[in-house]
Amino acid sequence: MDEKVPRSNIIETEIPMGTVHPAALEPYRVRFFVEDEIVQEAEITIGVNHRGIERIMEGLPVEKANALTEKICGICSNSHIWNSCRTAEMGLGIEIPERAKYIRVLMGELERLHSHFLYLAHGCEVLSHETFSMRIFYMREIVMELLAMVGGNRVQYGCSVLGGVRPRCDLDEAKLLRIKNDMDALEEGLTGFVERFLADSILMSRITGIGVLPQKQAIELAVTGPTLRATGVARDLRTTMFEYDDFDFNVITQPDGDVKSNLIMRALESFESIKLIRQAIANIPEGKVINRDWEMFDTDITESYIEVPRGTLYHSYALESGRVRHCIIRTPSMANIGAMQYACIGDQITDAQLCIVQCDPCFTCTDRAIEIVRR
Amino acid sequence: MFESTIINSVIAVVLTVLVCFIISTLLPGIERKYIHARIQQRIGPPVTSPGIMAPIKFMFKENVEVSSPVPGLYKALPIICFLVVLCVLIALTPEAYKIPALSSLVAIVGFLKVEEICYVLMGALSKSVMSVRMPFPDNVKGGAHLNATKSFVEDISSKRSLRMITYGSFPLYLALFAPVTAARSIFLSDIVSYQQIHGPFLFTISGAIAAIVFFIGYMIILNEYPFSIIKAKSDVIEGPYMEYAAKYRAVVVVTRGFFMFVLGAIFSVLFIGIPPTIFSWGILVNILVALIFVFMMGIFSAFSPVFTNRQLLPTILGTTLLGILAIVVGLL
Repeated sequence: MDEKVPRSNIIETEIPMGTVHPAALEPYRVRFFVEDEIVQEAEITIGVNHRGIERIMEGLPVEKANALTEKICGICSNSHIWNSCRTAEMGLGIEIPERAKYIRVLMGELERLHSHFLYLAHGCEVLSHETFSMRIFYMREIVMELLAMVGGNRVQYGCSVLGGVRPRCDLDEAKLLRIKNDMDALEEGLTGFVERFLADSILMSRITGIGVLPQKQAIELAVTGPTLRATGVARDLRTTMFEYDDFDFNVITQPDGDVKSNLIMRALESFESIKLIRQAIANIPEGKVINRDWEMFDTDITESYIEVPRGTLYHSYALESGRVRHCIIRTPSMANIGAMQYACIGDQITDAQLCIVQCDPCFTCTDRAIEIVRR
Repeated sequence: MFESTIINSVIAVVLTVLVCFIISTLLPGIERKYIHARIQQRIGPPVTSPGIMAPIKFMFKENVEVSSPVPGLYKALPIICFLVVLCVLIALTPEAYKIPALSSLVAIVGFLKVEEICYVLMGALSKSVMSVRMPFPDNVKGGAHLNATKSFVEDISSKRSLRMITYGSFPLYLALFAPVTAARSIFLSDIVSYQQIHGPFLFTISGAIAAIVFFIGYMIILNEYPFSIIKAKSDVIEGPYMEYAAKYRAVVVVTRGFFMFVLGAIFSVLFIGIPPTIFSWGILVNILVALIFVFMMGIFSAFSPVFTNRQLLPTILGTTLLGILAIVVGLL
């Protein structure tokens, strides 16, 4: 795979898009430098939705700070509160009940499903294939209803708390049966969709070889998550997370790093998530879902990395008198912005938004990073 | 006697145009409600909403000042488009056959070209906020190429419209001239008379091939998916129509439905030999053809992503070759 080299000489035409554009779900600005509709270089600028959540978290009691992290993202809200609780639990040495671990995994995988379905639907929308987009959104609705059943809400579930999960998120037999049945329906629907999608020659011609991100560049740019795995690198943090010790799943990879690989990657990962959810339902242990037997003490900065639908999520903070200090949150899209810019190069401007979307951006979540340049 | 004939002709044309216009306002709603929405398993808008209620609503909206170097011309272009479509429909009516310069294929092609040129001008004259530069240099993160000439997304749309004029709409024009090979005349009256004697041109080999080419050309000139590169949501958004609001947007919406009907009427005249007139049951055939085209277009567009140049060029090339084949078969 040839390396794509951004043009260093003067570019004649710049086409700025954003901060509001219908192909983008969120506000961001991208400048495309084009020659005859071919993108020579792209530059993404974020920062219009900075909310300063880490600053607000400073000094808050850790329980409140955890709840606040859920507001970072509307798609992976569960992942943020899970990782934030995990950070404190690691610092304080809190043991998590086995049943709570299973429920966290189940929620995490349901969230992965709804995130990947949103990705597929958005991808089809940017391709202007509304019918496929609608079809995926209908399937996603099943997952959203399940999340609402377990968490009480469709977006902010408030499932994880220090020491486990909220008792109201515990799963009885009826809920487990419903999840099991819905997974069957989802698998059937997704299989049908994937077969139809792959058989569509017009769609394949639109996505094959578009937005190619070679493996070497992906590693150099520190790309994470499914976007990295779509270039052939089998790196998934779930293989190292203790919550997934009892689970059996495959790390999916795709060879080409283009839009097609990325879309197929998410579809295949969704099947793996369904498999994980089924394992969680079948093997969920009896017992309590929260451990309240722990003591608060001051800790040094604790770091926690978990695999979320878009890649690696990082949370770190210290605790002083039960309050959060030195909080840093780093979302996967921060690492993937470079990939988005790179993927656009050499493709037509009609495909440029698609090249960005293939890296699954979530800029509103990413709008918290402060770049510190050491001079 | 002569005066009464003229008055009768004018009344016939006005009534025909009125009926066709009223029916045409339902076509966008039918496409969205009964085709797109049904395929996508959703309820969809009320059938009167896209073509009737939306323009009425737009008429009463407050207009915004367009961002254009020549606002007067920019605002006039939708009205010109509407008038062009109106002229095409008038040219198709039997009453217009008495004016050969108007009721010939050359005139029809000329009118359609004006419509296409309007898209180029609309794109070139629109400078919307969608791609306006920041009020300060974009160097917040060491931005590259600070001196690059800034272009608007509508400029791309304009260039694409120009490309569509040069080769994109070629299949449609080839299909329009296919019936000439049978009737041996470019005048609509002769083409209609020929078909009334020998049967519809559609039911010949040449006609069947040309009908396929006409349908693809129909979708191209209507900028419908997958050929809507001049207003693709993934980059140029609304393209030439970006800055139109209020009553100008109403004209744009109405013109689209009207154009759908008129293109169907062109097919009826050239391929079936039935011109649109209120004084003949044949107008039902015109309506039926318009509906069939809308249904087919709706189905095709619902299952297609937008094309880029990579898909568009081979498609147009293939369709053009098919159009040439139709003409060659017709000549043989």
